[in-house]
Order: sequence, then C-alpha cells, then structure tokens
Amino acid sequence: MTEFYGLPNTGEFWHWTNALHFVLVGLAGGMAFLAAILTLRQHPERKRYWWLAGILIALDLFVLWAESPARWRFSHIWLFFSFEPGAPIWWGAWGLSAAMAAVALLLLKQWVRLLERIPEGVLGVVLLLGSLVALAYPGFALAVNTTRPLWNSMMLAIFPITALLMVLAIAILLGSTWAKRWEVWAAALSLGLLLAYPFTLQEAAREHLFREGLVGYALAGLLIAVAALLFRNPRWAAALGLAGAVGLRWLLVMVGQFQSPGL
Amino acid sequence: MARLGMLIDLSACVGCAACAVACKMENQVPAGANRLWIREREVGVFPDLTVEFRPEQCNHCENPPCVPVCPTGASYQTQDGLVQVDYNKCIACGACIAACPYDARYIDKKGGYADKCTFCSHRVAKGQQPACVETCPTYARIFGDLDDPNSEISKTLEAAGRQDVLRPDMGTRPKVIYLNAPSKKGLTQEVMES
Amino acid sequence: MKLPRRSFLKLSAATVGAVSLGGAATLTSRAKAAPAWYTKEVKQVFQICENCFWRCGIRASVVGNRVYKVDGYKENPKSRGMLCPRGQAAPAQTYDPDRLKKPLIRIEGSERGAGKYREATWEEALDYIAKKMLGLKEQYGPESIAFFGHGTGDGWFVDFLPAAWGSPNAAKPSVSLCTAPREVAAQYTFGRAIGGHEPIDWPNTKYIVLIGHHIGEDTHNTQLQEFSEARKNGAKLVVVDPRFSTAAAKADRWLPIKPGTDTALLLAWIHVLISENLYDKAYVEKYTVGMDKLVAHIKPYTPEWAEQQTEIPAQVIREVAREMAQHKPKAVLPPTRHTVWYGNDTQRMRASYILNALLGNYGREGGFYIAMPPYLEKYPTPPLPLEPAAGGCAGPTAVDKEPEGYKPRADKGKFLAKTTAIQELIEPMITGQPYPIKGLFAYGINLFHAIPNVPRTKEALKNLELYVAIDVLPQEHVMWADVILPEATYLERYDDFVTVSHKTPFIQLRVPAHEPLYDTKPGWWIAKELGKRIGLEQYFPWQTIEEYLDTRMQSVGLDLETMKSMGTMVQNGKPWLSDWEKEGQNPFNTPSGKIELYSESLAKAGFDPLPKYEPPQPVPEGYYRLLYGRSPVHTFARTQNNPVLMEMESSNSVWLNAEEAARLGFKPGDYAYLINQDGVREGPVRVKITQRIRKDAVYITHGFGHKAKGMTLADGRGASDSYLQTRYTLDRISGGAGLRNNFVKLEKAPAPKLKSVVKLIKERRA
Repeated sequence: MTEFYGLPNTGEFWHWTNALHFVLVGLAGGMAFLAAILTLRQHPERKRYWWLAGILIALDLFVLWAESPARWRFSHIWLFFSFEPGAPIWWGAWGLSAAMAAVALLLLKQWVRLLERIPEGVLGVVLLLGSLVALAYPGFALAVNTTRPLWNSMMLAIFPITALLMVLAIAILLGSTWAKRWEVWAAALSLGLLLAYPFTLQEAAREHLFREGLVGYALAGLLIAVAALLFRNPRWAAALGLAGAVGLRWLLVMVGQFQSPGL
Repeated sequence: MARLGMLIDLSACVGCAACAVACKMENQVPAGANRLWIREREVGVFPDLTVEFRPEQCNHCENPPCVPVCPTGASYQTQDGLVQVDYNKCIACGACIAACPYDARYIDKKGGYADKCTFCSHRVAKGQQPACVETCPTYARIFGDLDDPNSEISKTLEAAGRQDVLRPDMGTRPKVIYLNAPSKKGLTQEVMES
Repeated sequence: MKLPRRSFLKLSAATVGAVSLGGAATLTSRAKAAPAWYTKEVKQVFQICENCFWRCGIRASVVGNRVYKVDGYKENPKSRGMLCPRGQAAPAQTYDPDRLKKPLIRIEGSERGAGKYREATWEEALDYIAKKMLGLKEQYGPESIAFFGHGTGDGWFVDFLPAAWGSPNAAKPSVSLCTAPREVAAQYTFGRAIGGHEPIDWPNTKYIVLIGHHIGEDTHNTQLQEFSEARKNGAKLVVVDPRFSTAAAKADRWLPIKPGTDTALLLAWIHVLISENLYDKAYVEKYTVGMDKLVAHIKPYTPEWAEQQTEIPAQVIREVAREMAQHKPKAVLPPTRHTVWYGNDTQRMRASYILNALLGNYGREGGFYIAMPPYLEKYPTPPLPLEPAAGGCAGPTAVDKEPEGYKPRADKGKFLAKTTAIQELIEPMITGQPYPIKGLFAYGINLFHAIPNVPRTKEALKNLELYVAIDVLPQEHVMWADVILPEATYLERYDDFVTVSHKTPFIQLRVPAHEPLYDTKPGWWIAKELGKRIGLEQYFPWQTIEEYLDTRMQSVGLDLETMKSMGTMVQNGKPWLSDWEKEGQNPFNTPSGKIELYSESLAKAGFDPLPKYEPPQPVPEGYYRLLYGRSPVHTFARTQNNPVLMEMESSNSVWLNAEEAARLGFKPGDYAYLINQDGVREGPVRVKITQRIRKDAVYITHGFGHKAKGMTLADGRGASDSYLQTRYTLDRISGGAGLRNNFVKLEKAPAPKLKSVVKLIKERRA
C-alpha cells in the first residue's frame, strides 16, 4: 500500500482545451494538406480550400493562445526566436505558421498586385511542406514522451490518418465529390490502426485504456467502422467518420496521460 | 564546472515531510502543486516488515527528457547540472510535464509557467543549502558537487553501500541518489492492485 | 540555588541582527528562479515556534506584514539550524482567513454551543468578563473560577493570573493528560523532574530501547535529530510497540508487544539483569537504595512469566536484557512523553527508571543527563497569594498545603501527586463537589480534543456562569464560550521568555515579526488589562512588555536589545554526576538523598513501593483496543486548518490488521465508522489495511474529527480519538488519566462527501 505526505503531480496536465486543440490541429493540418494538393494540381476548388485551411489554422492558433495560462504574457513569441528541433511543438508552430503564411499569400494574391509575382506553385509547395509538418507533429508531440506507454509510436500513424479522415469527411459534407474515395480509405486505415493499437500496448497501459476509456474507444471504433463500410451513403459515412475520428483523438489525448508504473 | 546532485539516505529518512513543507514555504508553491513529496510503502508480512520512506522531487537529470521537448527553450540545463525553467519564455504548453517520468512538474497557473524543484538555486547562489537539505532533522540529505571528490556528497557516495535512482530504465540519469533502500530489491515500485 | 551571574554566562557565538536580504544582484541571470519574497527587503527576527510544545528557537523572515519563512538557527540548542514540518508550516496559521479576528460575546439568551455571537470591542469584552469574575468571587469565592491552558502564553493565564486571583484550580493538560506519570515517578525515584526537553544523551548512547515511543512520527525536532545522530554513531535500537511504527522500521529488533503489558516486560528485564548479575554493581552500590528489597521482589517476574503476559518470547526478552547490559552504561530506555496509558502508569515508569538505574546510566554519558534550569529572575511583583498549582512537578518532599483563607484545589485527595489533574476539575462544575466551580478560562487548550469524556465536558460547560476562551482559531470548544478573546499568533507578539532545562540551560526570546493582524492582542496584554479590572493591578507593575522582558534580562547581565540580536542565551549546565561530585553536591532530591529503587515515600502513602504487574483490561469480543499517536505533519488538534499541512495529510485513517480487514470485508479505499464501548460513533474514516499492527488493536492519529464549522479545512475530516475516549482510568499516584482502555468496533461507512482541501484553499483565497 502506498501512502503519501503531499502528492506527486499526477493529475491531468492536458485538459479538454488541449484535447480540443488536438482535434482542431488535425482539421487545420489536414485541410492545409488538401489545399496544398489542390493548389499543386491547380484544381478549381482550390480557392475554397484556401479559405477553409486559413480559417481552421487561425482557429487552432487562437485556441492554443487562448487556453494557455501564459496568454497575457505573450511569451508565445519565443517559439519563433528559438531553435528547438527536439520539440514537436516547435515544429508545429513553424509548420502551422508556414502553412498560414502560404494560405494568406495565396488569398491576398488575388487583390494585392505586389504579390502577383509569386508563383502559385511555390506557395503550394510551402503550403504542402507546412501541412505535412502540421499533420505529423501532433503524433510526435505524444509519442516523444516515452514515459507515457499509451502514447507509443502508433500515434505517429493514428494522428495523421485520422486527421485526413476528418478533413476528407468535411470535404464530402461540403460537396467535394473527389473526396469520397479517399475518405473511405482513410476510414478503413483508421479502423485498422484502432483495432491494432491495443495489441501494441504493455499490459498496464492496455488495462488503463480499457478501464478508463473502453466505451469511448469502442464507440469511436464503431463509428469509424460504419463509415468505412458505408459505401452507399457518402454523407452519412462522412458524418460518422468525422465523429469517430474526433472521439478517438480526444480519447487518446485524455486517457493517454497515464504515467507508466515504475515509481 | 560543477555537477550538482542530491543524496538521500533512506535509512535515516523517517518520512516526516519537513523537507516537503520547507520547500512549499520557501518557494511559495501554489496549492494543489508539489515540488517535493514523501512516498511511503510497507514491504513484507507481519511481523517481518520494513517501510520505505521516500522523498521525491525533480531529479535534475543529466539526460532530462523535459528539455528537448520544450518548444521555446524555456526548459534548459545549466552548466552546473541544474534543470531550470526560464519563466519569461515559458508558454505553459505542458510538453515538459508530459515528458517527465517523475511527475515532478506542474503549471503555476497564476504565473502562467511550468515550475518544479530548482534545487533552490536562489539559496545556493548565496552559499546556502537548498531548503529541504537545511531543514532535514535526520541528516538524510546531502547536496553538492558530484564532480568534486572532496565534497561531502562525493565522499559519502564513495563510502556508501547500496545506491539507487528512480526509474533507471528511462535513461534519464537522475542526480537524486538514494542510499540504503530498506528493501533488498532496491527502491519499491507500484504493484498493480488486483 | 543562586550562582554568581557572570561566571556562568556563555554568550552565543554568532550575534545576528536584522539582516536585509534585498537585491537581485546575485541571482542567476536567465531564470527568475527565486521566489518573489526572496528578492524583496527581508527583515529577520528571532522567534520561538508555537506549533508544538517543543518550542524551537527560530528565525522568521519577514517582508512587510508577512512572514514567508521560518528556519532554525545553529546557535539555538533546540532547533540547531533545522526545523520539523509543523514548524516550517506554522506561519500559515497567522494568515489563515478562518482566524478569530475580533472579540466576540455570546448573544444573550442563546445556548452555549449554538454559535450565536456579536462582535465587541476589547473594552466591552474585558469589562464583561471582569464584572462576571468579581460577581463569582463574591458569591462563591475565587476558587470557583478554573483556569485551563497550554502554550507559551499559559504562563500568564494558568500560572500567574490564578495565583494572583486566588484560585488553586489551574491546570495544564500536559500534566494529567500527558507527562504526569513519568514526572511523578521520576520525583519518587530520582528526586528530579524529567522536564519538557527529555534529558537523554542520544549522541553517546549505544543501545536504545523505545517503549511505545514513536520517534519519527513524533517529530520533536531535537530529539529526532539526536536520535538520528545516535543511529549514525552505531547505536542499536529495540522498539517495543504493538504497531510497526516509523521507529520500528529503523530498529534492529521490533517487539510487537500485547498492549498494556509493558510493565511485565520491564520487570522481566530487571529480573534478568539481577539473576544473571549483569547490572552495574558499583553504580547501584554508590547511588541507590533499596536494592535488597528489589532483589526479593523481582523473583516471580521471570521472562517465562512475562512471555505469557506480553506474547514476546522469553528467549528474546533474555537476549535484549543481555544486550542492554553489554552496552551499559550507554544503554538507555528513554522516558517517552505521553505516558497516561492504562491508569497504572506511574508504576510502569518506576519500573523503567529502576531498569535505567540498574544499567547505571542516570547522570552518565549515553544515558540520562542531569538537566538544570537556566538562571533568570522573575519580574519583581508583590508576593502572590498562591503558588502556581498547574505545572511544575512537586515530589515527595513538597508541601501540599493551602495558605490561610484559601480553599484547596478541587481535585485534592483523589490522587497522591500535588499538581492539578485537569480532567478531575470537570466534575465539580457539574456536581458542585467539593465546592462549585462556576467559571472557566480556556487559554489555547482544546477542551473537546484533549480532555476525555467529551459529553461530560459539554455538560459541565452548560453549567458554568462564565466561560471565556482565548484562542486563535474558531475551534469547536471556542464557539461555546460566553466571551471569545482572539489572541495574536506567536509571530505577532512578544511573550515571556521560554526557559529550557538542559545540558546547557538556555533562555529564548520571541520578538514580534509584525503588528498583530485584525483586532487581535497578545496574551500578556490581555492578562494585564484583565488584571487591572479585577483588582490585580499591583501584580502588573510593568508598563510595557519590553520593560518586563528588559528587567528580567538585566538579572543575567544583558538587556532586551542585546537579547533581540541573539535570540538565545545559553548558560553552563551540570549534566554529569561527576560535575556534581566535583562541587560536593548531590543531585538526588529524595528523602534518602539517593536513587530510590524502593520508595519508602510511596509505601507510606499506601502505594506499592516497588512496581507490581497489573494485567490490562481485556478487549471485549468484537472490539479492538483504540490506540492513538501522532502524525509527523500535524500537532494535536491545532493544525488541521493549516493549509500547508492539510495538503500534506488531509485526514487520519484507522490502521487495521490486514487479516482482520479481510475477515470484516474491508477493501483498500474503504471507509469505516468507529463505534466505542459506549456507543459513541466517529467517522467516516478511511481504513488503512496494513500488516503493521497486531490483530487486537487499531490505531489512529490524534487531532482529526473536527466538528467546527468555522474551520473550513478541518471540519468533518477523519475521526476523533478524543470523542471516542469516553472512559479513562485514573492513576491514583500521578492523577493521570489512562486513555487506552477504550475499545471500538468497525462498521462499513460510505465515503464522506467533502470538497478537496485544495479546492477549499483556492476558494478561501477569493
């Protein structure tokens, strides 16, 4: 039996606001990625996706600032005056900012003559690179913590894939028919990862996942499974897939804060 | 440069928590957060028993997982081996808390930054001992330069029997060293309750 | 015995004045790691901790109106530069928003305990009290007012004021609810007190036997330090305790003794030392009387007999006795402190002292040293009508006679000792026998968490015509008073000097760190203002407390200002027998002038001159004996509203043997009610399922189970052992109240619905 005088800091360190960010960043990065692809392929819908990417990135950055206890110190500026290649969040700040800059320029190009000289393709590449970083970094931000056994290297796959699932689902719901095929793949991959994940865990971690999150995990799995199998009705598939992906990400961020036993 | 570390003699420690309270007062640690706490475990079956009283805090690791993950460089390591937080640069993102295997860090909500044991660098700078070391009424703690062979900590380690650190498997190379763990198997670990 | 003043003065090595720690110049450049207060203008004053009765000399670091940190200092023989957790956290009480802030008067017609009060000025409150006191004196006599108290200010309210007023009914709980048996036994054996700072030469001892003495959970600072030193110096440790205490975890041997049988063990050890000729013959020859009678008396108390009583194997008993003897005279059984266990405790302590004497350790290195009080004159006042009756340990040679025109103390005749027994002064408040007690002052003492049989205390309070509480927190018993006087906390006031009998006797000064917060006043001011109003002005001839302290300091060749820069004044002592013999003096103030193994005085008074064994009351079927003790982070019932300490430990728990827990169906995390033999129910309290206790007893730490709505952190947490101690066994020699003959059974309880301490702390700040 373990007793304490005082307590170690074992409480939750990332709250619902952080879980929200992990959803929004998936939307932001994923949407930026779609926008980049559409830009490079000079797809007619690309303008619309510049707006979507821009709004979602801005929203995510706003939430990140607003939920920080340091918000009024504006210390976030230091993200851009440091070089921290070991920090996934540093990469994320730069990736999201690069993507935001690219999107902003792509949008402003329409009205500001000075910017007309910058080729769309170049901005498209910047947007692509930024979006790839934005898609990758949340998984790394979790997996880098080797002391948290629920955040193993599966995060590196689950987060980008579910991010794509979410934005492709939104694309379908907005009427972008080209998204349908990709969304089903994203849903199928997500389901595969979700089914495999518990088997990649140490016993203590798996026990914790099922004790704290069995219902949520099963529900997310169910939603994504249905989304993957629902070929007939793409709009329903999209909605369920979106919900499942959001739920899975949220659950992994909250339940995954589990500290590995060893103390 | 120095390599500062802390030694805790578990055969002397009675788990009185004077260190934890002194730290709380000295550093005005906010309610709900702790820089230092005592973990107490009984080992054995009546009447063959022992009890481990184990103070825990930031280990000022030589290979600290909390430093590379900090996106602003607020979490840094000094030349003399302390792991510190530059409050001005901290954005309270919590990446360092996620990375720490020892539950040593917390967010100071009022200040808006991450915080933890600093080995009382403000006292050390004036030639004083950290608050926990100074107050300990059982002489269980020694703080000093591990690289100085004439320091009290080095000499004690030299002559010591069993030495342990927390979670050596994590590769952090902690600099809080425990002597004379009461259980023959070393520092106790949580047993998942069936 | 007066000694020339300057010849024994030993000024402390370093004089420390007010030190300013301002400026950020020396801080590391990058991180602002220094706490905010540290970078400001920090003033330091010498203080005396008040979070327990050890009273360490400390240094307080003050910024403006706030003490941020206290620390020990090396020159003080109590703290020696270190401090326990209670001491470190004590300043938090001064800034506790639940503190009493203004004098309160109970609303006319309201019931005692209903908590209906109105604020008043000090003038009104003191006038009210004075009027009532004079009325009671007129009607019933000055003895009709009892004065209870403990704490550094108790000198004013329990020693001085009642003696000046003319009431012998002044009592401190530290006597009959704590140390009485060991003090009285020491008087009848050595002719000397043990005293508040137990005189054990820990650093030099080689073999320590602790009987129930839970050092480590009992965190008396110096004792803990020296105990650790002893172990570092290679001393062997034997712990005798039904529970595997912290000390037991450090021991070479743990003897899980059956509760209540310690005297049998002590007698068996004496038996082995005598029968195997292992005792210190030269010492016994030179310094003791009654050995021949002891030899005859001890015959039946064999280790085999003791095994039957104690459940400790005879072989172990023999081995320990032999080991003790091997290390004599550097083998010691310290006297412990709270000795009121089973009602026959004076005799148990007699056995312990006899054993120590046989080891030849009294007055020698590695054993008991001889503590001397420091020299310091009282402030000259007209002679007091009475001798203070509460503290002090008058032994066989003292006279217990009241002066002409004054009544004896109301508990006289109930027991042999000449000091008051606080729990025996409750009955007269109800029955009016031997005479009515109609008034009560409670200074700092917690009436419902110290005195056993709480229902009786409550009934007594209801019968009083005047009940005044002087305290700092709205404790449950405080909110029963007619008048509540809020004292300033220790950091905000001067007090009389604390004098410590010791190897190197010393005097400590308390200097206020800042002005009292709210409308609170120091105890000395309250005593003086009250004294003026009740005709005792002549006993307070000094104008200010500074004058009082300065005058006293002059008697040792210093003044207050110098003392303020020193904090502690250390004098020379006479710790060893050789020191006394050198001067041709005898430390043993017994009738025979020697250590009395056989006590003629006890025999004359009708008690056993040599300790006999009495088996403890048996544990009723289905019950457990209720044992209690200390938590290292709490002090009695005074710290459960301290936010820092409550974060360390927010409740007590009931220790239950793991097999018993399984049998009763308790699982980890379960809660229980504790129901005693009289049906009193406490809890819910968390069950600590543990291997560390015998099956016939349960254990809780004292001081929880508060029922005080005004103490937001303390209220409703844990279980109160005091409330469960409805019975006590009176020790007819010392007047001590044996508290361990209370038994409880456990019933499953729902987890209490309480807000977390952290949440409450954060809410209170708002």
